[in-house]
Amino acid sequence: MLGRVAQRNLTRVGKCRSSAIRGLATAAEPYDVVVIGGGPGGYVAAIKAAQLGLRTACVEKRGALGGTCLNVGCIPSKAMLNNSHLYHQAKHDFEHRGIDVSGVALNLPKMLKAKQDSVTGLTKGVEFLFKQNKVDYIKGSASFVSNTRLSITPISESESSSEIEAKNIIIATGSEVAPFPGGAIEIDEKQIVSSTGALELQEVPKKMVVIGGGIIGLEMGSVWSRLGAEVTVVEFLGAIGGVGIDEEVSKQFQRTLTKQGIKFKLNTKVLSAEKKDGKVFLEAEPAKGGKAESLEADVVLVAVGRRPYTDGLNLEAAGIEKDEKGRVVIDDQFTTSQKNIRCIGDVTFGPMLAHKAEEEGIAAVEFIKSGHGHVNYNAIPSVVYTHPEVAWVGKTEQDLKKDGVKYKIGKFMFSANSRAKTNLDTDGFVKFLTEAETDRILGVHIMGPNAGEMIAEGVLAMEYGASAEDVARTTHAHPTLSEAFKEAAMAAYSKPIHM
Amino acid sequence: MHPSLRCCSARAHTPLIKFIGKRTWPSSPDARHAHPAAPAEFKQHFSDFLKKMESSKTEAASKPSSNADTYDHFWEAPGRFWKPRVRQLSEAEMDAIMSGGASSY
Repeated sequence: MLGRVAQRNLTRVGKCRSSAIRGLATAAEPYDVVVIGGGPGGYVAAIKAAQLGLRTACVEKRGALGGTCLNVGCIPSKAMLNNSHLYHQAKHDFEHRGIDVSGVALNLPKMLKAKQDSVTGLTKGVEFLFKQNKVDYIKGSASFVSNTRLSITPISESESSSEIEAKNIIIATGSEVAPFPGGAIEIDEKQIVSSTGALELQEVPKKMVVIGGGIIGLEMGSVWSRLGAEVTVVEFLGAIGGVGIDEEVSKQFQRTLTKQGIKFKLNTKVLSAEKKDGKVFLEAEPAKGGKAESLEADVVLVAVGRRPYTDGLNLEAAGIEKDEKGRVVIDDQFTTSQKNIRCIGDVTFGPMLAHKAEEEGIAAVEFIKSGHGHVNYNAIPSVVYTHPEVAWVGKTEQDLKKDGVKYKIGKFMFSANSRAKTNLDTDGFVKFLTEAETDRILGVHIMGPNAGEMIAEGVLAMEYGASAEDVARTTHAHPTLSEAFKEAAMAAYSKPIHM
Repeated sequence: MHPSLRCCSARAHTPLIKFIGKRTWPSSPDARHAHPAAPAEFKQHFSDFLKKMESSKTEAASKPSSNADTYDHFWEAPGRFWKPRVRQLSEAEMDAIMSGGASSY
């Protein structure tokens, strides 16, 4: 009865509009922020919002937090890349280092379990962080009822649907595997797989064809090549590595992977795939037209990109605009065409990278809280986690030529670096691109051992607007791979010592 | 102690990286611009997008002025209207009131 008294008190807000009346019937206070999607962008945004004192919920329909990255993307692929590299080293490299081992054999089920254990550990870790930061974790799918209300369909069939209200909503629903253009090849995740299926193969295929020579294709191709598959990468374009890679790096990278046994068919267009007698037969032709050829494989990986994922969100109900590529349209504060709804990560503009989504998640929440946030799109690194790794940040030589910028190049080979030599791991180089007039760093491109870690120094330098001389005059420990970074900076503004 | 060798060098290098002190946000929110990674055609028509956004009905993040007596959402109204203290009553207090105090004994 006392509860009813309270309800009566609420109705004193006589001039509230109809939406408010619905709100009055809601027992709970609306959330300050509801994040749709618990991937790297979404969960980071939710935790940051809670840390800033905002009442926050995160809606995730996968049943596990972490999104594509933690569950079927960056994390499991890195587990497979690391463990397949160790296997390959034990099998083919140890003897050159004076380590005699015998009986090295692949236990694929155990390797897959190790991968799954790392995934489970990390996703549970995010769930713990939610509890620690008092983020409400709602396991279900969200659909817009209006620009402040979401209908929630729970994962559990025993629970009924409900609605929640939020002052601010952040869409962080990520992306999904793009189907093969034209629908000529259908993914079955057994013989014709996406990156998800490529992480779950139960035996090493004898022959594997990878359609797409971008980051995902090269990483997964490397994994199965190391484990014994004969891998052929078919790429429509004339270079590998995907968007943003420097041409010189791409060429050197291809040469190195070729030495490792991966075959490449560039400027080649795949037309169709047919499953027959336990094999897949691909029909391909030169990209510019010409004689078609047939490629046989036990497994085909389709890695032609990803597309924004907004299925079931009912964006129309909230009046949210999308572009022709299905991306949610936003301004530089991540605001959609509705003031109280923001959008971050793969589902909107910019590169589809987990760390980009994370930065956007934090900035979006800071914009909600204070009206200010920061993401520098000129300093977002990309990494290919093959061996050697490839990493870059900023402009390529091709970008600078196109923009008419006068630039200098500073390069240093790992073959001249003491630590790389002691490690017997000398493939690759560090390449600095600087503005000729000011020496300011415009781009850093690395192919070599640990490039993915080393690029952080380049990102930091670019974020701070450093010159090559700034980096070159900074002490780097000896003997480390990072000395190659310093020497490349020296090469850009003056001369390196060791080359 | 010896001064840094840099002080003695012929040409003192002045790093581009400078410590700028503790960060503070400006008092007014940042102005809105087109997203840097947006396609060119969208950047050209950003003002149209901005108009659409500005005209969207909800601005939950903003607080209504103290004189406002009309609200789009109940949470925009002063908290005393929708978050009254009686909600904070415990079961025991409610029982006490409902029983005329008898439940307290």
